[in-house]
Amino acid sequence: MPDDPLISVRDLSKHFRTFKRREGVWGAIRNLVKRDYQAVHAVDRVTFDIQRGDMVGYIGPNGAGKSTTIKMLTGILVPTGGEIHSNGFVPWEQRRQYVKTIGVVFGQRTQLWWDIAVVESFKLLRKIYDVSQRDYDERMELFNHVLKLKDYLDTPVRKLSLGERMRCDLAAALLHNPPILFLDEPTIGLDVVAKDHIRQFLKEINQRYRTTVLLTTHDLDDIEELCKRIMIIDHGRLLYDGPLALLKQKLLRTKQVKFVVKDSEQAARLPALESDGLKIEPVDHLTYRIVFDRTKISVADLLRHILAEVEVRDLLIEDEPIEEIVKRIYAGEALKEVSA
Amino acid sequence: MNLKNIRVVYNKERMDMLRDRRTVFNMLLFPLIMFPIISIGFNRMENMFREKAKKEAAQIMVLGAAHAPELDARLRASGKFEILPLAADFKQQISDKKLRAAVEFSPGFEQALRAGGGAAPTLTLYFYRTELRSEMAVRSLDELIGNYRTEIVQGRVAGHGLPATALTPVLTKEQNVASAEKVSGVRMGAIIPYFIIIFCLMGALHPAMDLTAGEKERGTLETILASAVSRGELVMGKFLLVLTTSLITAVISLISYSATLKFAPSAAARGVGKDFSVHFSLQAVLMVFVMVLPLAVLFAATLVAISLMARSYKEAQSYTGPIMLAAIVPAIASILPGIELNPALALIPVLNVSLVSKELLSGSLPWASIALVFISTSFYAAIALGIAVLQFQREEVLFRA
Repeated sequence: MPDDPLISVRDLSKHFRTFKRREGVWGAIRNLVKRDYQAVHAVDRVTFDIQRGDMVGYIGPNGAGKSTTIKMLTGILVPTGGEIHSNGFVPWEQRRQYVKTIGVVFGQRTQLWWDIAVVESFKLLRKIYDVSQRDYDERMELFNHVLKLKDYLDTPVRKLSLGERMRCDLAAALLHNPPILFLDEPTIGLDVVAKDHIRQFLKEINQRYRTTVLLTTHDLDDIEELCKRIMIIDHGRLLYDGPLALLKQKLLRTKQVKFVVKDSEQAARLPALESDGLKIEPVDHLTYRIVFDRTKISVADLLRHILAEVEVRDLLIEDEPIEEIVKRIYAGEALKEVSA
Repeated sequence: MNLKNIRVVYNKERMDMLRDRRTVFNMLLFPLIMFPIISIGFNRMENMFREKAKKEAAQIMVLGAAHAPELDARLRASGKFEILPLAADFKQQISDKKLRAAVEFSPGFEQALRAGGGAAPTLTLYFYRTELRSEMAVRSLDELIGNYRTEIVQGRVAGHGLPATALTPVLTKEQNVASAEKVSGVRMGAIIPYFIIIFCLMGALHPAMDLTAGEKERGTLETILASAVSRGELVMGKFLLVLTTSLITAVISLISYSATLKFAPSAAARGVGKDFSVHFSLQAVLMVFVMVLPLAVLFAATLVAISLMARSYKEAQSYTGPIMLAAIVPAIASILPGIELNPALALIPVLNVSLVSKELLSGSLPWASIALVFISTSFYAAIALGIAVLQFQREEVLFRA
């Protein structure tokens, strides 16, 4: 057995009680008098370990339970059942000491002051986390170097772009040099360049400080760039926990090409493409989609093939959405052997 | 709980809030300018209308002028009236505000007067009540007719060879023994606590909603909850800031009100009494503040606890509406004459503070009531604060879906 895991989660569950709303005006009136509640198993008996220095991707469709797990790991929510030992703490019991050893970034939220210069927020966090002036200066220098913060340290947060703000939020979360970093959708809504910045930075701190990172995401590119290990959750249940490579081999084989043909005359020529076993699905007027297995045909070959046959106005290559992957896991595709 | 952390939260929220123009306006500017504007502005406006109405001659009609030629002549000579030709629909004209008033003399009016004895002749005044100009016209008419009546009476008395004093056998003199402080205290004392209480509540309202529901709405609550301050410290920091704004607003409103009284007393005291002057001891005012302190705590804690349940600022506004009402009604009730502080009323929040303040400002020091009011309000405030702290521990409140 290797070192003791840094984060150990056993049978973690969180149930919410949500209020079932009835429809219509009469329903709304009845809602006032009698309320029916429904138990939602946001997280259901999830178990995993994370070793020091690991970078783990935590993915799943919307409402799968990713954020709830992160909230329990950061001590904001108390689990309904199960255990968490993270960095030697039980998060919700020793929350104050514990959070001094973790950093958290919620992608769609910010912990920075909206109307105030970024640097003021850093100063405040320095006080809350008892960071010495020397450590603060040193770390700010690193952040300036990697994240290029200097240019907008004196700008109010509301004037920053989403990418700039995310960089500041990351810096804020790492100001006290925590050994663990939790990221909830860190690249959501960012453009390609901004995403790349964030990924480079995460790599850098992971290598430099051996910071353990758990990140939830929608974006499979995040995972491919950063994580060797991946966990997939849906409806509160952990569906997969293992190396990314294996999953890729088994499940992430497919990509899709979405393209718009020039006119209906061109569209009429599409059936010629189907001869090679490619299946063309119409998406919209003049827009079509081909899902292909990249172990069988390379992207370059496919594009050459398409462009040789029809005139294309626009084209987009995408990963298969996570929802589709989850669907295929449910369909029983090759998972048993993987997760075993 | 750690005082240092509470202070950090407090300072953070304060800095944030001072950048928010809405708060600054509600907390500082509004209470500062409201009193002068209301009291001086309204006073000016009313005076203006009154002067204007006074200057222009009131249109009246004299019915049966032939029965009272002398009075008719006096009416015409006075210059206060414009006498319109007779019309049958004079009542309708008064209603339509084309005519201010009308006088009707009974047949043989002056003849009967001169003859004396028998039934007294009558005159009827037609006017429109609640219409300022109509009432003023009637008042002028009444004055003129009153003078005429006095002359006639004096003539009759002299005719019988009696001295003029025969008409006033007894002279009544009124002497006020209440101190000026008592008088102004009873009059102003009823209104001042009302203003302080309302402004306490108003000052707390916006920050309480912004620091709780607003935080949820902006999505910053999670990040704050994940920081190294405990929830207790968080709620205390927020609560203390709400309390501060509430008290600052109340102090500013009081200063503004006092300044208005000092520099424009007639305007501010309108409706209170003509012989009004301000005589509050500093001690009384300070005592009022001591009484208001636990009430401000009660307001701040209640508003924080309730707004935290809302998911957005807008939702918080609908939740706090009833609270406003629940505070304003007892505050108004204390202005009503006849409601006096007693041990039972001393237990009713808001009403008790406003009643005891009324007493304090009128110069008395009812120590037993003061203690009862202070202790009971502190007790309610402690409960509200406890609920606010508990609210911050409840996941279903913090993360309402």
